[in-house]
Amino acid sequence: MLEPHYGELNMPPAAATNLAHKPPDGGWGWAVVVAAFISIGFSYAFPKSLTIYFKEIQEYFSVSYSEIAWLSSVMLASMYAGGPVSSILVNRYGSRPVVMLGGLMVSAAMVLSSFGTTIIHLYLCVGVIGGFGLAFNLQPALTIIGTYFQAKRPLANGLAMTGSPVFLSILAPLNQFLFDSYGWRGSFLILGSVVFNCCVAGALMRPVSNQKPKGCLPPSNEAVDQGAVADAGPQTADSDPEEGQHEGKGQTQNSKLVDLTLFKHRGFLIYLVGNVVMFFGFFAPVVFLAPYAKHQGIDEYSAAFLLTIFALVDMFIRPFTGFLGNTRRIRPKIQYFFSFAVSYNGICHLLFPLASGYQGLVVYAVFFGVGFGMVSALLFEVLMDLVGAPRFSSAVGLVTIIECGPVLLGPPISGALVDTFGEYKYLYSTCGVLMLTPGIFFFVMHYFNYKKLEDEQKQKAAGEMRRPEETVELKSNNEANK
Amino acid sequence: MENMPASWKLLLMLLLVLTASCGRVHAETLAPSPKPLASVPALSADMRKVAVLKSQNSTQNVQLLNPVNLSLECSLTADHNNLPNISAFWSQDGREIPDSRLTVALENQQYHLQRLFYISGEEMLGSYSCVFENGVRADFILATPPFGEVRDKPVVSYVRDFVVLPCKMEEAKPKPLSWRWFRGNKTHKEQISEQPERFQIHSEERKSKLKVINLTHEDAGVYYCGAVYAIGTTMNPIELKVITYQEPLKPFIGILIEVVLLVAVIFLCEKRRSKKNTSKGNEENVDQNNIKLQEEEKGAEEGSSMRQRKV
Repeated sequence: MLEPHYGELNMPPAAATNLAHKPPDGGWGWAVVVAAFISIGFSYAFPKSLTIYFKEIQEYFSVSYSEIAWLSSVMLASMYAGGPVSSILVNRYGSRPVVMLGGLMVSAAMVLSSFGTTIIHLYLCVGVIGGFGLAFNLQPALTIIGTYFQAKRPLANGLAMTGSPVFLSILAPLNQFLFDSYGWRGSFLILGSVVFNCCVAGALMRPVSNQKPKGCLPPSNEAVDQGAVADAGPQTADSDPEEGQHEGKGQTQNSKLVDLTLFKHRGFLIYLVGNVVMFFGFFAPVVFLAPYAKHQGIDEYSAAFLLTIFALVDMFIRPFTGFLGNTRRIRPKIQYFFSFAVSYNGICHLLFPLASGYQGLVVYAVFFGVGFGMVSALLFEVLMDLVGAPRFSSAVGLVTIIECGPVLLGPPISGALVDTFGEYKYLYSTCGVLMLTPGIFFFVMHYFNYKKLEDEQKQKAAGEMRRPEETVELKSNNEANK
Repeated sequence: MENMPASWKLLLMLLLVLTASCGRVHAETLAPSPKPLASVPALSADMRKVAVLKSQNSTQNVQLLNPVNLSLECSLTADHNNLPNISAFWSQDGREIPDSRLTVALENQQYHLQRLFYISGEEMLGSYSCVFENGVRADFILATPPFGEVRDKPVVSYVRDFVVLPCKMEEAKPKPLSWRWFRGNKTHKEQISEQPERFQIHSEERKSKLKVINLTHEDAGVYYCGAVYAIGTTMNPIELKVITYQEPLKPFIGILIEVVLLVAVIFLCEKRRSKKNTSKGNEENVDQNNIKLQEEEKGAEEGSSMRQRKV
């Protein structure tokens, strides 16, 4: 039910909001962006910042380095595996309760782990419960942006995703300070209260339509059903006829499971295939940047400074990318923007071996920061653009659990590559290929997808034109019959 | 060598002096005055360290593992003065070594000074310097292999908990013979012996860990891990701080209260706003109902009037 005035923005012939309400695109929406900023920030930055404690915990429990590194992996795996569970809960109860529950979970996990006596205790508390709690923060935060924004959604997404580098920049020194003052146990206790602020984020995530009772099906589906049956006039602007047909089935499915009909959605499949390949090579270059620099003979502080440069560039590029994605020219073809961002990353990595000396590395850090920020800012925006806000929750749940594989396997495989060849340049070339291929894949597939969507849009428009005419005839017939 | 009777030692010393006076190179042993370390040095050195000086002082670190005959040499490049002779002396730890003052002749634009030292034990480690008349000096700092990473921040642990203090000698440095742990301050260190209920020491070749169990406030302080070599022990200080659970509890509760307050404020504001909206909405509904009623009445009237007219 897109109002006519959105047409001015040349809305893409992709899935629309299909929401019963008009997205506010402002007002309380900006408070929700702040809330999402906090939730996303904690979700991504918290696991990374815990690595500061690993050395002491390793000594304390007398375990090997790989055993302590498992903690990160368990946490990440739980975060991704918790995606579908999170989706189901959000579909049912909305974002707010899930985020507050998530905040409570991570908080409790950290407090419990501060009294831990074995490393298994830590795996379970911080790893499993903490990971799930963070999953309950990430998904709903992304979903609620889709309900509050339509016209300004890329900007809102870009701003919210900026939470990740900002929180990392805050949590890293904070954790160091806590560690120096309180040791790991006290720090975990205090971190439990710090992460409890996710509940504040949850409190801010007011559901858009306040009249919506709990436990109810999302009004979007009801509206579309009614729209298809009773409402002949306004265009739903739903250029995806597959959705209309499956809406009936989807309604019952949403209440029970995640929306598995997404696997028949063309755009979703393109996104999924491309992302799975891309994630193998997405994080490894960040992980190995500092070790590579040290390998080249650069001292530890300068190597760490490279990461700081990277994070700063990332921080500023994300909102800027969101802003660009919102412009009149790019918004309708935002999939091409994403494809460009992915390909740009690939080219960056492929050219990396040419970088020489510290200046070369700094230049690379800047360019890579731009690429990483662009992809991160658009990552969920394009998914929303493809499947629409109502199905986004299920979509992101499915995507995260499938992405679990490449995200977890990526760094160890890269590590194996480095160990086998003894050189980092093969790693970066491989990552370059792993990013460039999906980039080109996205360009090609979305070209066809856009074409098909346009055709479907025209068909539907033609079809709906006939219906008002028919109803007019009917009415006139009725009146004549009176 | 230490078991030789005194008379033999004296004879050998005389022989040495005779041979030394023939040559230009002065090779002397340095016997520490209090202890009768009567080792007769060979004229050849096991180790040789050279400092080349021009106008600035130089400092060198010499890493020693075992007792050694060490030859220290200083070569001072002559400046424009080109004095034929220059006097110089050796000092140990800032004090001039007695009978070490010499006059060095200019040779190939250089003043060359050399001395052989026999470093037998830890007391002999320290800073040795050759000092020339014009003030230029070279310092040789003799020491056992130092630790690479020195932890400057204290390790924090809790009462009734345990703590593991680690110590590592990197791959690049030589392996120590054994490890020892000490407690105390710079002047007085006490070795820690293994007591099953309080201290556990676990040492490997390059690593050593001290586990202090059932901590109390008295356990706080500086601990030293010592890497033992034949010639001496390198100490690495680690500070231990013991605190109670109440310390982190304060910020924890503080932040918890902050979160609860914020959440409460947000929910209260929302309730207030929704109350306003519903009361507004009620008013609007009432108005709308009134209007509808009026319209219906009007319509009914018109309808009836129409019917009346029709009839």
